[in-house]
Amino acid sequence: MRVEYINPFVESAFNVLKEVVGGELTRGDLYLKSTTHPVLGITVIVGLAGDVEGSVIIDMSEETALAIASVMNGEELSDFDDLGKATISELANMITAQAVTKLYDLGFKFDLTPPAMITGQNLEVSNAGVETLIVPVDMPQGKIEINVAIRERG
Amino acid sequence: MKTKSDFPSINERPPEGLKEDGSAFSVLIVDDSMFVAKQIGQILTSEEFKIAGTAGNGEEGLEKYKEMYPNIDLVTMDITMPKMDGVTALTKILEFDKEAKIIMISALGKQDLVKKSLMLGAKNYIVKPLDRKRVLERVISVLRQ
Repeated sequence: MRVEYINPFVESAFNVLKEVVGGELTRGDLYLKSTTHPVLGITVIVGLAGDVEGSVIIDMSEETALAIASVMNGEELSDFDDLGKATISELANMITAQAVTKLYDLGFKFDLTPPAMITGQNLEVSNAGVETLIVPVDMPQGKIEINVAIRERG
Repeated sequence: MKTKSDFPSINERPPEGLKEDGSAFSVLIVDDSMFVAKQIGQILTSEEFKIAGTAGNGEEGLEKYKEMYPNIDLVTMDITMPKMDGVTALTKILEFDKEAKIIMISALGKQDLVKKSLMLGAKNYIVKPLDRKRVLERVISVLRQ
């Protein structure tokens, strides 16, 4: 996968998380995952289609999602309810939207699907034929993994 | 007992959400994200704006605007929504009331739709993530236009 696709997502994830959650963020080592891989529990998927195609998945545990949603709402949420889900979906929306702007500036044109959230234990994701690169981000609230699986349309 | 009113602060300013006659500016929030609607509501009510209503899509926003007309001073309108998007709802509200004051709420990456909305008659726009200061600046500037 070309590095031009990855950097915008890493940069915008850092920008948005710093702005809306704050605290100290550390990027873990990037790694590639096989075609089928487990995800952490709260998973938001945004699809891309155009000059490039694929998906971006923002993935975290329910505990982390609840802690982040609490900070973003300025109040302690006790359950991962509709407000919590709307908050994390919006977080994914902001990260992908900012990354897309950077990719547009590089000349790539494509559309995004609205974020879809999937929650549950023991989930696995497979991206047939598209290599997935994982960007782990450590935050005081826990770990977020940004999965980027993008290729140029053949 | 002394109360706060006995010691008026020279730095105190009136809340931005109040008109000269002391009544509150009335705002309709149209957004499919519960989180964003809540965030806008919190920012505006902290300055004593009145949230007249919220709507989860453009169709509902248009209906509520018509129902509450002429008691809405401002609409915040998300761009991407199910059923009826914000640009269509903007057009339909302006067909109904050409004086309507509408601010578009957009994620980054929707510049074309923001430009289109401004050409169609939106008064201003705000890009998410929402920043309290920026939201209040834009809202106040539109209300004072």
